[in-house]
Amino acid sequence: MSDMHILIVEDDQVARDYLAKALTEVGHTVEVAVDGLEGLQLASSAAVELAIVDRMLPKLDGLALVQSLRATGRKTPVLILSALGEVDDRITGLRAGGDDYLTKPYHMSELLARIDALARRGDNGSAEANTKLKLADLELDRMTRRVSRNGKKIELTAREFQLLEFMMRHSGQVVTRTMLLEGVWDYHFDPQTNVIDVHISRLRQAIDKDFDKPLLHTVRGAGYSLREDE
Amino acid sequence: MDQEQRFLGVLGSSPFRIAVVYSVVFALGAVALLGAVYFAVSQVVDGSTDNLIEAEVQGLREQVLVLSRSDFIELIEQRSQDQDVRGAVYLMVDPQLRPVAGNVPAWPKSAANEGKWIQFKVSVPFGDETREHEMRAENFPVYAGYRMLVGHDVQERQDVKNLMMRGLIAAVVLTMLLGLGGGFWMGRRILAQAGAISAVATQIMRGDLSQRLPVRDAEDELNSLAREINGMLDKIEQLTLGMRTVLDSAAHDLRTPLNRLQATAEAAMSQLAPSSNERRVLERVTTEVDRMRSTLDALLRIALAETGTVAREAVDLSELVASMVELYAPVSEERGIRLESSVIAGAQVQGSRQLLAQALANLLDNAIKFTPEGGHIRVVLRRQGAGPEVVVEDDGPGIPADKREIVLGRRVRLDEARKFPGSGLGLSLVAAVTKLHGARLVLDDAGPGLRVALKF
Repeated sequence: MSDMHILIVEDDQVARDYLAKALTEVGHTVEVAVDGLEGLQLASSAAVELAIVDRMLPKLDGLALVQSLRATGRKTPVLILSALGEVDDRITGLRAGGDDYLTKPYHMSELLARIDALARRGDNGSAEANTKLKLADLELDRMTRRVSRNGKKIELTAREFQLLEFMMRHSGQVVTRTMLLEGVWDYHFDPQTNVIDVHISRLRQAIDKDFDKPLLHTVRGAGYSLREDE
Repeated sequence: MDQEQRFLGVLGSSPFRIAVVYSVVFALGAVALLGAVYFAVSQVVDGSTDNLIEAEVQGLREQVLVLSRSDFIELIEQRSQDQDVRGAVYLMVDPQLRPVAGNVPAWPKSAANEGKWIQFKVSVPFGDETREHEMRAENFPVYAGYRMLVGHDVQERQDVKNLMMRGLIAAVVLTMLLGLGGGFWMGRRILAQAGAISAVATQIMRGDLSQRLPVRDAEDELNSLAREINGMLDKIEQLTLGMRTVLDSAAHDLRTPLNRLQATAEAAMSQLAPSSNERRVLERVTTEVDRMRSTLDALLRIALAETGTVAREAVDLSELVASMVELYAPVSEERGIRLESSVIAGAQVQGSRQLLAQALANLLDNAIKFTPEGGHIRVVLRRQGAGPEVVVEDDGPGIPADKREIVLGRRVRLDEARKFPGSGLGLSLVAAVTKLHGARLVLDDAGPGLRVALKF
């Protein structure tokens, strides 16, 4: 989903400019604010569909901004960018009302994937409750924990099932390794070994091996994507 | 059980012990004091009665010399009936010990021996009933074969002595009871206070530095101690907060330029053809940024763990270890390493799940890195003594015994490890996280290989 109205609240000019440029390039409309107060004013406008907020801002701190925004009842998705020490900063950020949290320095591909996921969270709200997920001929039933492709039953381990469920909920989007580690395992660190890649290749074995059209794709330099190719 | 333990706890408390010692001392004091009074009073009372009887006996002896037997008997009868002399007893018996005169019904058996002073009991009318009264009397011969008993009712005297004895016993018992009761009460109070303090101290040890010891509105030692400790905690909280601020600004000042570097490189790359030389150079730049970032992350995490400024929660260690094993199983299998595990259920610790996961990931990353193809890695979570223990064991090259201490220091990479990628911070982070959780990190020879144990 492109074409969103995105607000960037960032006091670092280099980061702000690049972010604005990159988001514009993929088709979003971008608005910028250089401090917390300006950011809060702009974020309160109904036109803003998503906000990217730096945590340390002049005039009004990023967390205070999000808290104020939530206090007025606005549910605009917010991605918090942080340059802090981490570990439990992430939890305070999410508790303050942020929807996602990214530590600097970040890869633009990571940020774009997360923005995409945040934007779709609104649309896919129904998918959360849906017991059956479907992509092309691949079907996943969350109630019976049954997965089938083209009517043929696929045996998955509990973790593979969770992984596939996560990918299907984000089908058509790019899902990064850290998003998978966070979303499926609830861990927030960078493993030194390619643990996620091996899990994905096992899942790929299970769902794509015996079929002509692969559904699970590797997106170079970013992560993975579960989608039906044209 | 709990009630009983609390009770035993009070008995062992120092106020109670002091109270026991004091009440014993006071009880001994009471015995000494009241005993002296008892002794003195009975001396006086006994003495005065005996004098009275002696005088009467003396008088009667003189009468015996001047009066005929029948006149003497009459005199005794008279004196026996004389209501003015309350409590006086007389008895005159013939040689067969049959009473001839007096107000005592029978010659007491205890008077059979020739002893001078005797004590015996006589039933005396007391309203409608009769009461046994203690009598003290002197017996002496009068006329040929006749004997005389002159005495006095000493029941009152006995009553006073009994009363004093009972008073003495009551005083001792009361002193002991009051002492023990007071000691118990004080012990409970102090224990309750100490209990409140240790409950808070436990929370503080778990990392909640905002907690303060309870202080009551009183000027006792425990309170002033609590106040001083609270002052110390204020200082520690300030220092930790300061430390956190320093860390955060250091993080900020390093992450912001790194972020700019990354942004600039990515922006430039997007303008370049995929296979151009310039692009390859910039890719190297972003790779270095990634490396710096992970080093920075590790350093910050170590610093956070070492300063103890991490929020703590209950962590399901069993779930954590099992899920880490599950996360690393495919990658080790891919490298031809067998990852075995044995994990007990229900092990819990207080701490940071993310930091514990990172520490375990570092150990597993290391194990996978150093274990050759065909090797084994064994992950064990078991109960060892009081707490759980996590063991990660591999059959790689291990770490020589003399170098096990130094690898835990920051940025130490043994020469043998240089051919492997890594920041060299892995084990120091494990050490910092272990310390944060109040656990012990033990490196050992797995013969062959390395055995790392985290003892909680």
